[in-house]
Amino acid sequence: MTIGLSFLLGLLAGSVSYFMLGLWWPLAVLLGLFAWLAFGLLDVKMDSTFTLLGGMLLVFCVSLSGMVLRANDQLSGLQYVDTQDVDGTEFRYPVPPLGQARYGEKIYKASGCVACHTQQVTHESVALDVKAMAGEKNLAAVQEAASRFYKLTGRKASGGAALGLPAGEWETIVTGANAADASKARNFLAAAGASVDVQVRFRGEDLMHNDLQNPEGRNWGRRRSVAQDYLFAEPPMLGSVRIGPDLANIGARYNRDMLMSVLLDPKTLKKDSKMPQHGFLFEQAEKDEQRQPTREAEALVDYLLSLKSANYPLPEAPVDQPFTSSMPKPATAPAEAADTAKPDEAGK
Amino acid sequence: MSSEPKEDVAKQDPREAVDRSCRGPVLFLAFSAVTWLLVYSVFAMLAGVKVHASGMMADSAWLAYGRIQPASQLALQFGFLVQLGLAVSAWILSHRGKTVLVDGGYLIFGGMLWNIGVTLGFLGILTGNASGLEGLQMPGKVLPLLFFGFVLVGLSIVQTNNRRTDEEMSPAQWFLFAATLWLPWVLAGSYLLIHFFNAKGVMANIVDWWFIQNFARVYLTFVGLGTLFHFLPALSGRQLMGRGYAQFAFWVMLLFGSVGGVGPGAPVPAWLPALSTVSAVFYFFGVIAVWVSLNQTISGASAADTADSLAYNLMRLAALIFISMGVLNVFFAFPGPGSVAEFTTYGPAMKLLFNLGFIGLILVAALYHIFPSLAGIDFSPKMTRIQTTAIVFGVLGATLPSALGGLMSGDAVLGSGFYFASLGDLLLLAGSAILFLNFLGAILFSIKNCGCLAGICCRGEKKEANA
Repeated sequence: MTIGLSFLLGLLAGSVSYFMLGLWWPLAVLLGLFAWLAFGLLDVKMDSTFTLLGGMLLVFCVSLSGMVLRANDQLSGLQYVDTQDVDGTEFRYPVPPLGQARYGEKIYKASGCVACHTQQVTHESVALDVKAMAGEKNLAAVQEAASRFYKLTGRKASGGAALGLPAGEWETIVTGANAADASKARNFLAAAGASVDVQVRFRGEDLMHNDLQNPEGRNWGRRRSVAQDYLFAEPPMLGSVRIGPDLANIGARYNRDMLMSVLLDPKTLKKDSKMPQHGFLFEQAEKDEQRQPTREAEALVDYLLSLKSANYPLPEAPVDQPFTSSMPKPATAPAEAADTAKPDEAGK
Repeated sequence: MSSEPKEDVAKQDPREAVDRSCRGPVLFLAFSAVTWLLVYSVFAMLAGVKVHASGMMADSAWLAYGRIQPASQLALQFGFLVQLGLAVSAWILSHRGKTVLVDGGYLIFGGMLWNIGVTLGFLGILTGNASGLEGLQMPGKVLPLLFFGFVLVGLSIVQTNNRRTDEEMSPAQWFLFAATLWLPWVLAGSYLLIHFFNAKGVMANIVDWWFIQNFARVYLTFVGLGTLFHFLPALSGRQLMGRGYAQFAFWVMLLFGSVGGVGPGAPVPAWLPALSTVSAVFYFFGVIAVWVSLNQTISGASAADTADSLAYNLMRLAALIFISMGVLNVFFAFPGPGSVAEFTTYGPAMKLLFNLGFIGLILVAALYHIFPSLAGIDFSPKMTRIQTTAIVFGVLGATLPSALGGLMSGDAVLGSGFYFASLGDLLLLAGSAILFLNFLGAILFSIKNCGCLAGICCRGEKKEANA
């Protein structure tokens, strides 16, 4: 292949990855360069081991630095951040597993729970709310910008409030917009001199159930999981298969008794559960006695109860749904327990 | 050999000399691989049964589903595929290069280390020392052992390739040579990053995904393709067409197969899933190039020798599976379809189809071809037919229903998918058991027949006779 053609292909690879897929620009440049190199190498006669070896070493370095080391640069700076608990108390997040929970994490790892359970709440789309505040001087310009936005996107003013925008107060311009519309609204309003605030809301099957906005929600978390949540996991057991429900937020959904009964016999909570019984975590002193949890089972449940990551708002993953909307109450009678377990259907 | 007079060496059929140098090492690796396949199918069957009968064996911790399942994956990938891949690579590289296998002893010693490593890893997972990751599920302490085992085997293979008669390398040689070097690099890199530098938080998962991607898309794929590029032309008696396409495929698949593998919803910076989509799309161009080259080579051809028609047809089936999986992979690499398939049984089913339906079938077919020339005796033809049928239908039965069930995502469908998958597991178990017996029987028979044992005992007498 000629130099010119391979250069064009490299340019194509670089620009596709930058403009269409939004890669970090040095990475896109690197990708383009190496695509050029790779296509250019097609000219090389591959009869010497050194040609092969040289090309392979180059590719290995690109792969290692482009995927792993670059990610490490970005993630190694993760620190505690301040967040709020459900009742409004502020604390530093994430909290490392305390006491028995660290031992429980080892039990979780040794028993291979990760073979059937994920620990990652995902989202499928985002919905954006745009709010604006205008001063007295630029009120007319902001109102015109808002109506221009409504005309352009075909969206209606919510309750007509936006057009009667009072000066000095936050006013919702649009709710539930997609990224393109929200950025249009932000640009128009900001150009007219308004203060603009954009809020992100995640949508997806994993997230909280909501009759209007998220009717298929499984109540697995109030927000999606992000890298910050796994700062102290050794290692993060993200999982890739959901034969059972996601456990990233299990500590907020289940209480100790429910978890114990699931471990002893999963079919007590859900009749067609595919989860195997974990009898080895329980011991029986005498034949007629009820089976008592071992130290391992207690630690495992401690660990599971400590998994509440998808609850707390973070800068990169805000929470928009109230915690109490459809959460089971912490202590439930057995009859209620069956009800509250319903939203967590196993699998997809 | 050095003691023999030179005229004798010249008179010998060179192929025979090559085969003699390969015999011990290749058969050793192949036999341990077949044993690990049996171990895999037993444990995969057990894991499948545990999904249906949740109370079964509930009191023994080491038979928990979460331990059996990753242990069986280890047996399949590191026990069966890697070892049979090495055996076939050694044979092809020495035959292609028209040279004897250099330092076959390294191959045996390295293979022993590798087997010890896989066994320790297997027992480690069963006793609850798994690392908690998915690609490198074995305890971290086993990895250096695996690394040194592989490096010893690789030393022999790389030296053999360097001693080739023709200077120019053929596509089969590029692919096998690159695969042999690639795995130790990736293994060492991931070990250092995860266990030595203690990757923090999701970095451990990113390194693990990087390893999975390199292991499957580069290492295993290159072993499979190298074997195809050698055997499809060789068995059909044709020349490999489209060397340029093969060269294109080699570099494109190496570059884009070595990055990516991150799911669309993973809790990592968003550029990683995007990068995975890009690399999957470009990787597909490599798959197309392979298809063009192989299609030009074998369209309308059949096996030149009827004895090889089974191996030839198995390889064609595996090539077909490779192409169809390439199309599916690029489709599900896009975020939309990808998030439908993510977290369902589609993922593990496709992984199994890749491992056994593509790589496994190719390597078993290659074993059918090379075994007679090494052992001096063929597998029993009847048993071979039965075991091949059982393995092919077992693979399809264990994967397709659960892949479909995963995509449909209905609970009822998922359940029935599991039952079909267990039927597939059962067939697979039967197939691998017969393959194991077949192998063992043929070896025992050939030892008894050729008087090799007698040869070992009476070496002194022979020397006297020669003198």
